[in-house]
Amino acid sequence: MGKRGVLVCGLVLLVAFFTFAAGQDEGVWPDPEKTITIVVPYSAGGGTDTAIRPVVEEMKKYSEAIIIVSNISGAGSSKGTNEVLSLPADGYTLLASGTHTVSATMQGLTDGYKQLDGIGSLNWDPFIIAVLKSQPWKSMKDLVEDAKKNPGKISLGNAGMGGATGVASVAMNLAFGKAFNVTPFQGGQDLRANVLGGHCDVGIFSQSEILANQDMLNPLVILYHEHSALDELKHVPTLNEAGFENLKVPGGSFKSISVRKGTPEAAKKQLAEIVKKAYHSQAYQSFMKEKGLLPPPDYYELTELDGYFDELVGAFTPIMKAAGLLKE
Amino acid sequence: METVFSGFLQIFNIQTVLWIALGEILGIILGALPGLTATMGIALMLPISFQLSKATGMAMLLGVYCGAVSGASIPAILLGIPGNPNAIATIYDGKAMTDKGLAGQALGGAVVASFIGGITSLIILALFSPIIARFTLAFGPAEKASLALVGLTIIASVSSKNLAKGILTGTLGLSLSLFGTDPFSNAVRLPFREIFAKTPLTSGINLIPALIGLFGISQALFDLQRIKTGHIAPPQIKIEKIFPSFRKIASMWRLIIEASGIGTLIGAIPGTGASIAVFLSYERAKKITSSPRSKLEKVGTGCLEGVFTPEVANNACTGGALIPALTLGIPGDAATAVLLGALLIKGVVPGYRLFTEEMSLVYAIFFALLLSNIFMLIFQLMGVRLFPKVLNVPVAILLPAILVLSLVGSYAIQGQAIIAATFDMGVALGLGILGYFLKKADYPIAPIVLGLILGGMLEENFRRAVKLAEGNYFVFFTKPIAIVFIALAVFSVALPFLKKKK
Repeated sequence: MGKRGVLVCGLVLLVAFFTFAAGQDEGVWPDPEKTITIVVPYSAGGGTDTAIRPVVEEMKKYSEAIIIVSNISGAGSSKGTNEVLSLPADGYTLLASGTHTVSATMQGLTDGYKQLDGIGSLNWDPFIIAVLKSQPWKSMKDLVEDAKKNPGKISLGNAGMGGATGVASVAMNLAFGKAFNVTPFQGGQDLRANVLGGHCDVGIFSQSEILANQDMLNPLVILYHEHSALDELKHVPTLNEAGFENLKVPGGSFKSISVRKGTPEAAKKQLAEIVKKAYHSQAYQSFMKEKGLLPPPDYYELTELDGYFDELVGAFTPIMKAAGLLKE
Repeated sequence: METVFSGFLQIFNIQTVLWIALGEILGIILGALPGLTATMGIALMLPISFQLSKATGMAMLLGVYCGAVSGASIPAILLGIPGNPNAIATIYDGKAMTDKGLAGQALGGAVVASFIGGITSLIILALFSPIIARFTLAFGPAEKASLALVGLTIIASVSSKNLAKGILTGTLGLSLSLFGTDPFSNAVRLPFREIFAKTPLTSGINLIPALIGLFGISQALFDLQRIKTGHIAPPQIKIEKIFPSFRKIASMWRLIIEASGIGTLIGAIPGTGASIAVFLSYERAKKITSSPRSKLEKVGTGCLEGVFTPEVANNACTGGALIPALTLGIPGDAATAVLLGALLIKGVVPGYRLFTEEMSLVYAIFFALLLSNIFMLIFQLMGVRLFPKVLNVPVAILLPAILVLSLVGSYAIQGQAIIAATFDMGVALGLGILGYFLKKADYPIAPIVLGLILGGMLEENFRRAVKLAEGNYFVFFTKPIAIVFIALAVFSVALPFLKKKK
């Protein structure tokens, strides 16, 4: 190869370098070669995980790209949330967001909802207050009266201060003049073991947890504004029926799907379409029915979901402030 | 009887048996790779289980579970690196046996032990689970805090020569367990808060990268140095008489009974786990075999007894962890938590409803566990002659391979979480370097791990017990189980001193 040959080769390589270095176009979303990851900020097998996985199974049917679930648990739900916030906003990383995101953000553990855009809403899992059947309290009224008579004597457990049960228990306690000894446990299962073992008097549970121990637990009140959709729990009175019309507490855990702010509009739109189809699929709807998961007042997508988050933030703020958990 | 038969049919069909075998092989491979755990294997196979029937899906996941727990013993014995926390206590006698050229016997013993542990705990699960489940409920925060205290006394026996050094590294482990966020208030608890507040470190130091760093990376660095000074010779491998004789097994009856009991029970208490069970049973084995009347070889010197006991215990944990999972719907460990999730997604509510409405599924799970244990025995025994070949790899290749695998393993724990996984690699490297210097200065490593495992359990449960008792610090002396544990802890610390005085 003569001098000229070398020069030509060099030029060709140079052109090739700049062609690739200039980067590829944004391209079409989704790139079927890429994987869409849905980060569940709790461990596999938990309440959030079990509510998300079936919807993901449906989403797979409507997406060209592969979709997988990745469980990143820790520090409330903030570890998984922070992971999503530190990855590129390209629409390939989604977060299983919800009430847990709101409370983790307010506690200053993550930039959470401030840095997220809504994709689609999923459902509410209402909370139920329950005690062991062998305990003396047969109704919520009994329990609250007794607690007020003996302030600090009756323990009220939650699944951890960071999550929605933590906020609900603190809110209840504030409403009852701090009559309860609010104690955080290491997740819902730890709380349930302690209530079943008589180490903690009262607990806040999800519906499936009550069903697992139907023989031992006595559900006193459902914190939601309507009755449970499950036959076994339909009889549990709402707060109104139990005589606490004025008590305003976050009555369950809400789950939705979000992406990092700055994700291209086109990708968000397509994702929203996939989630919406998956949510309305017969399989997911019957899963929700079977599990007693309740739809929010409306199906929210994209900016509607952001608006719904703002509502949740508004409802949580006074509670978190009063509980001393609010860090801005 | 009809439900038993229907459960039998759900498992003993070609399709299900093949799925169990597949799960088992995958589990053994995952378990043998440092950093990959049973929990991760089950989570990985979860989407596949959705496509199968309830019983078949569960059976396949149970195969992964059993395989991963026993597979972890392979690198523990051959390289002194626990594949996952289940095999932490296997490394002492296991590695020592390998160094003596007895790798095959150690592996063979571990497999038989795993099988015995798995089957014993399955029998206990099938016969006594309602009673044991009620008993585990007696373990509240006060009881768990005292159990953690008993666990800490094991530092004395894993510190080998120098107790003071052991206590020092043990407290270092305890301090490391404080990293992260406060379990009650969620306040960030880290040095250089401004820098680390929104990093994965907020959830504390993960046990598995810590294990990989402290045992894997530090050992590799240590050996690298020895290569340079020319003091390393590959161990000879004599692979004959791989299976322990029936007489040998029979002579260890007491170790087996105690390890099965400890494993099943600790496995059944939610929030404890196999890593504590293996240490407790190893400690017991040490006590039993060091008694002058014992005819067994002394645990800690590189003998079959020291491999057998923890391996019985960790597989006994599998049946144990399923006890509260099936009867109460409360998982005994992280792996069974994922198993429960699989059931929930399939529309089965474990606990009361499972036992009243789907008894045939319960029997199917028992049969699946039985089959998983049998497959585990078969596949592992087939591999026993194969695995030690790893040691024939020249050290100059083996060591870099170990280092790479260690880092890959630390990264893999968090799967797709790129940032968190990178931090885990940092944790493994950092602790690996720390471990290297500690080894060089002849400080024991195991107490750090004990401190890390028990620190969180001790702190949280201590604070929770006091909170539930409205601030009364003497609550631990009002609960019978807690009193027994505290007495045990005090006794085991004081005994050597009393003996010396005599």
